[in-house]
Amino acid sequence: MRCAFYPGCVSRGGCPELYPSAIKVAARLGLELEELTDVGCNGAGVLSREVSDPINARTLAKAERLGLSTVMTICSTCTGVMGQANIKLREDPVYRASMNHEFLADEGLEYQGTISVKHLLWILNEDYGLDRLRTAVKRPLRGLKVSPFYGCYIRRPDAIVEGKPQRKQYLERVIEALGAEVVDFGGKGKCCGFPILTANETNSMAMVAAHTGEAKGKGADCMVTPCPLCHLNLDGSQPRAEAQKGEKIDLPILHLPQLIGLGLGFSPEELHMRRHIVSTRAVAETVRLLT
Amino acid sequence: MQATFKVYRFDRETGGKPGFQSYALDLPEDATVLDGLFKIREEMDGSLGFRASCNRGLCGECTLRINRGGRLACITRIASVLTKDREVSVEPVRNVLVLKDLVYDVETLLWKKIKSVRPWLDPARPEPEREYVVPDEKLRPVRNAMKCYYCGLCDEGCSVIPFDKTFVGPAALTKAYRFVSDPRDGARAARLRALGEPRGIWDCVHCFEADEHCPRGIEPTQRIVDLRDAAVAAGIKSGTKNPQVARHYDSFAASVRKSGWLDEGRLALETWGVRRIFDLLPIAWRAFRRGKLPVPYRHPKRKGAERIARIFEKVQGKHS
Amino acid sequence: MPRHEVLIVGGGIAGMRAALAAKERGADVALLSKVHPLRTHSGTSQGGINAAMSRDDSPEAHAFDTVKGGDYLADQDTVELLATAASGALVELDHWGVPFNRDGDGRLDLRWLCGAARARACYVDDMTGHAILQVLYEQLLKADIPTYEEWVTTRLVLDEGACVGVVALEMASGSLEAFSANAVVLATGGCARAYEPTGAAYGVAGEGVSLAYRAGATLMDMEMVQFHPLGLRGRGLILTEALLSHGGYLVNGNGDRFALKYAPSYGERAPRDIVARAAEEEILSGRGIQEFVGLDLRHLDGDQVKRQFPLTAHLVKAQAEVNLTTDTVPVRPVAHRTIGGVRVNADGATGVGGLYAAGGCAATGVHGANGLGGDWLLEALIFGQRAGASAAERGQRLSRGVEIQLEEEKRRIAEIADRPASLERAGTIRVKLGQTMRQYVGILRDASGLEQAANTLQELRARSQRAGTTNRGKRYNYELVGSLELESLLTVAEVIAAAARAREESRGVHVRQDHPSRDDARWLSHTLAFRRLEGATLSSKPVVITKWKPEGRRY
Repeated sequence: MRCAFYPGCVSRGGCPELYPSAIKVAARLGLELEELTDVGCNGAGVLSREVSDPINARTLAKAERLGLSTVMTICSTCTGVMGQANIKLREDPVYRASMNHEFLADEGLEYQGTISVKHLLWILNEDYGLDRLRTAVKRPLRGLKVSPFYGCYIRRPDAIVEGKPQRKQYLERVIEALGAEVVDFGGKGKCCGFPILTANETNSMAMVAAHTGEAKGKGADCMVTPCPLCHLNLDGSQPRAEAQKGEKIDLPILHLPQLIGLGLGFSPEELHMRRHIVSTRAVAETVRLLT
Repeated sequence: MQATFKVYRFDRETGGKPGFQSYALDLPEDATVLDGLFKIREEMDGSLGFRASCNRGLCGECTLRINRGGRLACITRIASVLTKDREVSVEPVRNVLVLKDLVYDVETLLWKKIKSVRPWLDPARPEPEREYVVPDEKLRPVRNAMKCYYCGLCDEGCSVIPFDKTFVGPAALTKAYRFVSDPRDGARAARLRALGEPRGIWDCVHCFEADEHCPRGIEPTQRIVDLRDAAVAAGIKSGTKNPQVARHYDSFAASVRKSGWLDEGRLALETWGVRRIFDLLPIAWRAFRRGKLPVPYRHPKRKGAERIARIFEKVQGKHS
Repeated sequence: MPRHEVLIVGGGIAGMRAALAAKERGADVALLSKVHPLRTHSGTSQGGINAAMSRDDSPEAHAFDTVKGGDYLADQDTVELLATAASGALVELDHWGVPFNRDGDGRLDLRWLCGAARARACYVDDMTGHAILQVLYEQLLKADIPTYEEWVTTRLVLDEGACVGVVALEMASGSLEAFSANAVVLATGGCARAYEPTGAAYGVAGEGVSLAYRAGATLMDMEMVQFHPLGLRGRGLILTEALLSHGGYLVNGNGDRFALKYAPSYGERAPRDIVARAAEEEILSGRGIQEFVGLDLRHLDGDQVKRQFPLTAHLVKAQAEVNLTTDTVPVRPVAHRTIGGVRVNADGATGVGGLYAAGGCAATGVHGANGLGGDWLLEALIFGQRAGASAAERGQRLSRGVEIQLEEEKRRIAEIADRPASLERAGTIRVKLGQTMRQYVGILRDASGLEQAANTLQELRARSQRAGTTNRGKRYNYELVGSLELESLLTVAEVIAAAARAREESRGVHVRQDHPSRDDARWLSHTLAFRRLEGATLSSKPVVITKWKPEGRRY
């Protein structure tokens, strides 16, 4: 399967472990990725849509130009922000025409509304197939207890699942396909607090502590997330969250491609698992014993 | 139709612990949950407290948590929520103080917050002699926001409020949006500035829970995002007490404009300033040692960056 | 004891408008409401509010439609006042922020409502009442008017026959408090909960009417009870008649548009009394669709219907499980509004010193024997404003005997609250009351039915005095409130039945199958009711005719 690939900003910035892991995993699975190199940040829910809608229209038009029908993302926020923009552009021809006319025409671009924005998580479940994934698994992660954490933008608003409510269970399905055990918990679809890190750090840290604490309390060895922004908070802010709560948590957070990579047989080093704030050593140990 | 109602009971007066009481009911096929509650109070247990008014889904008074979902009891048909054990659970909404049984403190959940956003039209002067002449499509967003009947379900499902009851919440912000989007209001900039203060629009995590919970399709989260976009367009990117939010926006925009992508190192520095960075040094050191610290300003300009910059210029041009 | 210069009892549109008017006149005004103002019945009103805004319309044309619509029982001077003040009231609402729909020129768009000769109703999608209610509440907050929310007024305090305050029950604590005032404005809504099924909110139990009546005020035209033809199957959600004036049809079991039989020219757009009666007769004669008739919008542009009536489409699906634009929607007449109430003059004065009334609980005489859609919200606003303004003008009064009356009321309430549990329950009696009224004092009436009703009501009155309570708690004691409401409902129901018995003609909503014609010679007058120990004493007052001599009423 061939997709346009939108890596986002953080996968090579604050979470530099994500990009190489994603590339390795995609190659191993046989997903052909054509990286979009001359497009821009989708705004991440921070930038006003007045400026991010045209940026995203351009990204989608560029992908269309390549003759491709899918843009793959590795970040829940990219999926949601670009996905919402895409839904609006697809369903409102007047708006699409005005975007094209005002912002894309001078570059000779025109978005026609044919692109599908899909996270690697959705592609694995819908296009690649979990059976195929299971066949590719060389090192079943038996005994590894993993809690799923989706990230808001890949679950809400309802339009984003495009009529497929099962998208809200894909992460658990992948965890199981890799042979690991799902540790379900109430906070899996909730907000990690990242968007208010600047505006209200106290609330942000409280959210981190609540969700990681809950998963840890239910016996998870680690958490997996398809969103590097969630990762930045759940992992990067975990020490501060612990300090604020006055409780130790110590729950390693993995990126989705890292978990998949482990199942495919890559080593923790190859997946840059030393680059986390909360040590992943315990996970690495568990995995080594499985080989 | 047989149904067992499991109803939350709690009476501050007699003390005692809250709990669920069961009532076996026999009701017509098209009976609603509210019909069931009335049957209990009128025929079985007169001490049950619950609120009701219009009985047809228009006033929001009977908002309750029915089988773990926030709904209006008067338009929830029992047949549609009955579990396979023929049970219906009825309790107050979450995150509120319960006053008695199903009667809860709406003042704190909702009314007080609504009152805090200057919820009346501040007319742009001078007022015309007759009606304001306004294109109808300019009033559609106002009417959409005014569909709200204050059921409070958006606040009840909010990600932030369980952690921080002082967050003004989606219901009040939707009310604020009603005025910001009204062309007849003359206080737009002042409102956006006030809404930008702590506990306002920038404290929202835009998780879209409010959109999921609103039974009227008002999409409160989208309304909050609309408010933020309106604020940015008016050059107002924070309140006065949270300037770091404006710095964050400006820095984010500046790096995307310059290089096409986000420069996180620059973002942290420009948002917080050097002084605050000292507080973050321990984590920054840890990040640096793990090769996770993006070096600010040494951010490669990606291909297509000048195109992205053009987009920013065009948008800016619209506001000058 | 809280003291305010003006007390408004009732937080709906009329009550809030009165409060704002009193405040504007500089009065220290407070509002007591049984439910939060935004939960009041006013918010369910959908269709629109009339005003001669258009250049080729006039207050006179509006007034005529109203007079004819009321089957010539309306007091024409009051109607002219209403029609003349209308456009000013609409502009004021717009300035306060009501987002009325606009036409292509950006001016107030006008909708055609039933019984009108032309389009003259301003509207906000299909939530006009809701929008106005919200904006009035916003203005109430802006004016910083204190509100006592979830207080049930149980008694008027009188001093030498004048009203000097109220006693009210605070739901949150269960305690009774006396409020003293120079003037009290009742705005508690009508009495439609005396019927079952009903289109009225739970709290619309005629308490204001009953309180005024017991304080010596006169009630007027109580026999006039309007049924709305579009009561949706299920909860009886009343769909806006604008669906009919927009072009919707009403069909019977054979698919025939039966309204044309009764109103050959206007058809479904005839005034509500005619259409409701038509539907009732079709259903009773077995020509209905089971016990309903069908609202048929299938021939209209579905997208346009959904745009104009977005909430209606959604609610019809949720409550009746049918599609507004592609199915025939089952509807039947449901008790909607009581046209009668406390008799007031154009300034809201009831005749009892210090006591005013506005909105659903008041009878201003504008609706005659049937109210047109769009005139109800208008009446509440115009006469609510006038009542509030007059109340503010009332001078300072000494209130004597308040403490004594508070103590009496405490004893009375305690007696009701402490009644031992018995087989009789207020809720069951209320349902029986409602069914009796629907059957015998409904759309089609006759002497024997009305006599039956009077007897049953007496019986129910006796039963209600034996009805026991089981709730001994004080806080949020809705069971107690239910008992108090039942008392009021029985009182007003008795008057309605008596007035219906007295009027031996058919006019507007009052249809006597044993007196099927309108009889201007004998009955061109309002029915007045006073309270005496033995029951209601009835008399009459001539209708005020200024411009329009009563004619045959054809639509």
